[in-house]
Amino acid sequence: MARLRSALSLLMDRWPVVTAAAASILLFAVPALAHTGSSTGGFVGGFAHPLFGSDHVVAMVAVGLWGAFLGAPTIWLLPILFPLVMAFGGVIGIVGVPLPGVETAIAVSAVVLGSMVALAARPPLWIAALLVGAFAIFHGHAHGTELPPGADIVAYSVGFVVATGLLHLTGVAVGLLARWRAGRIAVRTAGGAIALAGVAFLSGLG
Amino acid sequence: MNGFVVGLLHPLALPAHVLALLALGLLIGQQAAGRRIVSLAAFVIGVAAGLTAIASGVGQTSAADVLLAVAFANGALVAMARPLPTLACALLAAITGVTLGLDSPPEAISIAVATAILLGTGLGASLALAAIVAGTSYIASLGDWGRIGARILGSWIAASALLVLALRFARGQLF
Repeated sequence: MARLRSALSLLMDRWPVVTAAAASILLFAVPALAHTGSSTGGFVGGFAHPLFGSDHVVAMVAVGLWGAFLGAPTIWLLPILFPLVMAFGGVIGIVGVPLPGVETAIAVSAVVLGSMVALAARPPLWIAALLVGAFAIFHGHAHGTELPPGADIVAYSVGFVVATGLLHLTGVAVGLLARWRAGRIAVRTAGGAIALAGVAFLSGLG
Repeated sequence: MNGFVVGLLHPLALPAHVLALLALGLLIGQQAAGRRIVSLAAFVIGVAAGLTAIASGVGQTSAADVLLAVAFANGALVAMARPLPTLACALLAAITGVTLGLDSPPEAISIAVATAILLGTGLGASLALAAIVAGTSYIASLGDWGRIGARILGSWIAASALLVLALRFARGQLF
């Protein structure tokens, strides 16, 4: 009984970590269908769209993980900058400007960003922003070309951006585990897993 | 439901109007406390002018596109979190108000009901904006995380508005 009380007390003390872990489990429970997109319109269709591409999901989570690893100001700068740059990439895709190797670049983004987390790389802020920004354009372009001709494009776009942003914030929440030694190992392991997933996408296995 | 209540809820029923009100509310909420009232007043005057123009029979305009463009600008400014000159913020508020009013034509058979809808729309939009401004300033007072949260929301709004504008352009529906 004392052990149970102690375990409950530990959980209560670390509720942000527990919440973050639970959110991640729920998020990753979404089936991975590798960028198939969603054809329904409205907020729900837009919200579902980024979640139905496993390559996009792991890269977005990696952005958040890396931001949390790098600390302030990167931890909040990346979730602010990424949607804007991604929307710019989306505009390029929507108006039909071709961008070579989009799917390859998205897979590479998982490899690179996952590796950065796994290696606990700490480059200068401008290099991190440039790297993430470049990948954001490819992710945005891919989504821009996939947006369906739905009736309510405002609700669809809001859902799409909110889902992408929440993926970042999930990564940030999980990345905050790195404050603890065991958490740091878990986060770096997650980065390694993301990099391996990227390799699988590149080789056509994912 | 009577016309006034329909109008009152109208700004909250259209995603583009919610987006624009949220972006402007966050922007005004980021400004110094004493300056907020100027922008709020500019919005009320703007929305009254837009609704009056609709009542006068202005007809179809490109207000919806301008509203999205202003939502993008306001969202991007929120993401940057730079203090704006009072006049610049008031101007953005006035443009948002006018375009929101122009983009709210009432669907009514009688003039009495149409007038009630327009009055309700003006009041509903102004109250919603005031509530967002109050909420933003309260959250910002809680600390850094509140201010960062507002900036992230601004970024999401700007990104959403930009995507919609691009989609409308690609479909030949812009302006």
